[in-house]
Amino acid sequence: MKQIIKIVSNPKIFIYTIIWLMVLVVLGTLSQGDIGLYASQQKYFSANITWLGDIIPVPGGRITMVIMLVNLTFMVLFKHNLWKIKKFGVLIVHIGALLLLIGGGLTAIFSSEGNMVIEEGAQSNHVDDYHDMELTIINTSNESLDEYTVFDQPILEKGNVLSHENLNFNIEIINYFRNCEPLKRNEPAGIQYKGMLKNFILSELKNEKENNQNRPGITYRITNSRSSNDGIYGIFLGQSVTQTANINNQKYEFIFRRKRTYLPFAIELLDFKKVVHAGTGIAKSYSSEVNLIENGIPRRVLIEMNEPLRHKGYTFFQASFIEGIEGDTTVLAAVKNYGRLFPYISSIIMSIGMLLHLFSSMPKLLRKNTRDSS
Amino acid sequence: MMKFCLRLFISIFILLPLLYGRNFDERDFPIQDEGRVKPLDTFSRNQLLALYGKRSVKHEKLSAIDWLFELILNPEKGGREKVFNIRNPEVTSSLRLEWTNDHKYSFIEVFPGLMEQVELISVIHKKSDESRTIFEQQLLEIYFNATRFKEIAYSLSCLVPIIEINDSLLADKLNTSPGKAVSYAHLTKQFQTLSEMFHNNMNKPKDKWSEPDKELNRILLTLQHISSEDFAKALKLIPPSPLDETGTWLSPWELMDGRSRVPYQDKILNALEKYLTGRALGDENKMMSSLMDYEAGIASITTGKTDINLLKKETWMNKANLFYISVAFYLLAFIFLGLSWMFHQPKYFQRISSGLLCTGLLYHIYGIYLRMVIMGRPPVSTLYESVIFVGFVTVICSVILEYFRRDGLGLFTGAVSGAVFHYIGFGYASDGDTLGMLVAVLNSNFWLATHVTTITLGYGVTVVAGFIGHLYLIQMIRSPENKTLLKSINKNMFGITLIALFFTLFGTILGGIWADQSWGRFWGWDPKENGALLIVMWHVMMIHLRLTAKVKPEGFALGLIINNIVVMMAWFGVNLLNVGLHSYGFTSGIAWNLALFTAFEFATGFGTYYWAKLRKKSLAQPVIIN
Repeated sequence: MKQIIKIVSNPKIFIYTIIWLMVLVVLGTLSQGDIGLYASQQKYFSANITWLGDIIPVPGGRITMVIMLVNLTFMVLFKHNLWKIKKFGVLIVHIGALLLLIGGGLTAIFSSEGNMVIEEGAQSNHVDDYHDMELTIINTSNESLDEYTVFDQPILEKGNVLSHENLNFNIEIINYFRNCEPLKRNEPAGIQYKGMLKNFILSELKNEKENNQNRPGITYRITNSRSSNDGIYGIFLGQSVTQTANINNQKYEFIFRRKRTYLPFAIELLDFKKVVHAGTGIAKSYSSEVNLIENGIPRRVLIEMNEPLRHKGYTFFQASFIEGIEGDTTVLAAVKNYGRLFPYISSIIMSIGMLLHLFSSMPKLLRKNTRDSS
Repeated sequence: MMKFCLRLFISIFILLPLLYGRNFDERDFPIQDEGRVKPLDTFSRNQLLALYGKRSVKHEKLSAIDWLFELILNPEKGGREKVFNIRNPEVTSSLRLEWTNDHKYSFIEVFPGLMEQVELISVIHKKSDESRTIFEQQLLEIYFNATRFKEIAYSLSCLVPIIEINDSLLADKLNTSPGKAVSYAHLTKQFQTLSEMFHNNMNKPKDKWSEPDKELNRILLTLQHISSEDFAKALKLIPPSPLDETGTWLSPWELMDGRSRVPYQDKILNALEKYLTGRALGDENKMMSSLMDYEAGIASITTGKTDINLLKKETWMNKANLFYISVAFYLLAFIFLGLSWMFHQPKYFQRISSGLLCTGLLYHIYGIYLRMVIMGRPPVSTLYESVIFVGFVTVICSVILEYFRRDGLGLFTGAVSGAVFHYIGFGYASDGDTLGMLVAVLNSNFWLATHVTTITLGYGVTVVAGFIGHLYLIQMIRSPENKTLLKSINKNMFGITLIALFFTLFGTILGGIWADQSWGRFWGWDPKENGALLIVMWHVMMIHLRLTAKVKPEGFALGLIINNIVVMMAWFGVNLLNVGLHSYGFTSGIAWNLALFTAFEFATGFGTYYWAKLRKKSLAQPVIIN
């Protein structure tokens, strides 16, 4: 046991992991010029394994930081020479760093972020995820109620077969495109193609640097419907004509959209304002005047740049806007993060520790001649 | 020494306000431009910089403000002035200009060529920034400059006395004296009289017109001609009425359209007209009294008051060039430090040197302080300001170090790094207005202010640490036998690294908090964030390597030198990455300088490192033999 502790708490591990993390940071930053921020974050920092040049597997950012966390924990708990009054500041700094890493881990696992897009006068009660998509199938046969069946991102993968008791057919995902565009067919399609694919094909595009500029799409095959509806379909984000199908007397609508999270409250946009520096086009501030509606009771809130709305674990930020002739549309970034207090606490702890250490050791370190020989 | 510095400090700060406690003059006329109200002096300097590449017309020995007024009083002559700086041969040939060595052209030379290519220019204008070629970019720039030039030239033409009235009867009716020139604005005030006389004229047949009638006709035609210049609205010299919510200032031409004016607008307009008349006639007294009127006019603004003292301060700052004075003192400090090495009385010269360094520092601080007062914002919010601020931090650190050591090490560090950062700053300043407004996200946020200031402090201290790393290795080469000196520098290095770690770490975390406050995420692996993180990690690594005895002092010094490269990459390099396609002009200059700096640091760092190790060995050998 002692042997294990000694190995795990070896400061050499920390030095190697920090060097490796620096390498990853440099690579991850440089690659942002080519593949964009989101992709390089996925590849280098959020990954357990990073593939260098798509061939060589090396430890990714996440695993490196986990190793660092374990090493640091053992060091703080079991290194006896750290628990001395002279090193009190250093100990505090290390505990702060530990908290920072734990907070980072919590954020990486539990946080979610998305957009809420509201037109002036309209309201919204759901958040659209930035990156994840969902395939929603709505059964509209019953006039008094629509039945929703939703398949979301991890299972929307090439080759997966989706089925659900709500549906009297299966869906097989043929292809998933991160970015695609519909192109008009030159020749008539084969009989297996249905819906939009009769006239169009979905052609894959290179990923944009900004992930939100990508237009994802899927092609899928409907099977086991025991009707003429079996065939290949295609659908993409922002498709203007809804894909419908009438299968065994049940009417279905297919929608491919950003993954939605419904909130226990709604937000109504009353007014969006953009203020510019007088006599220029440079924006000075943006703000959205909204009603936060909960249980039917509205509350007025002003969301500004750097002045978000926090409610029920969600935080809404003024992120962007779309100017329109009839009215403006505001884009709020909605974030749910359980680890958000960790950096605040750990930065205070680390600063206190560093200051303690600096004040105790600095006069000795700056003087030219010292009398103590340590 | 400290007493002397303190006295110097106090006396400079008492004396400086006296320097700009002068009378209000034409340089201080407030004008709204690019989102803020600034003195006309700053405006004219920036315009001239954009056109001509310098802040005064060198070959004419004309200051920016005089150039502006000469242009306004005589646009035709101003149009022949060679103030357009065009350095690209592709552009000159497309404008049918002859390629000359001084690259300077006049408006009347440039304008016809531009008019020929209006279609091409409008196509270029529609393109996105990244897709324009260098030629297209520059042609567009010249087009904008030329239109702006024309707008400035005629923007006060309604106030310039150019209409001569010789007939005494007519002059009397129009409220002036014969033989005197009056302005468009003056005549529009007599609109009632003019239109009555005009109707009289129209009722008479043309051949029966008397001399005054003919003159009236001439005057009316001139008025019509001048009124075609009302497109020129570049000089927003007149404050808005209290009813205007946008706070947009107006140009004199905008007030000529018959809208109602508030009293202070009238006062300023009249004072401006009086000033221009006085200037056109060379009448000193009239100019003096018009300036007093102008000042009174500004003082009577009721809403959105303009602080005259602030305007004066800025004009003074434009002229004083505090950072140039500061760099001069740094260089002098360096020279005296050099003298102290040569002579037998080092202490004496060192004292002078440290006095000079402190004086330079005071000018440096005062410059930063004035900019803060004028813009009403924290010291660092643009790249230019970060350069100036890092220079200030390095000098402060060096002064503190010198206070503890008193052997010239701090003086050397401070004088060199202070001067170098000033020179980098001058490079940026020649690129454009350094007092620009900020975009929304950077505007007035506590976390941003503290974050940027702290991280820049961290950059500064890190650079000082790297500099001392250099000095340590050089000292090892010079006299490896002087162990006590090396040991003390080594300790300093470590101490400064700890301080640098504190500021970079704290600054990075504050940045995360700001990001969390405004975007909802603490960390997003964005290039700028990664750059800061890299510096922090490098510090952490070096400190742990040293504490676990993995590196010797010379290795630690080398690590600090390489950290200098990391700092420069995080500071300037990330800007290159974001605008990968913008690799022309200024940014390509950055790339080149960065590459040069990296090569230099690597070469000197590793070179001195191995040399120092060699010296250490050769020193160690005889000991073993004996």
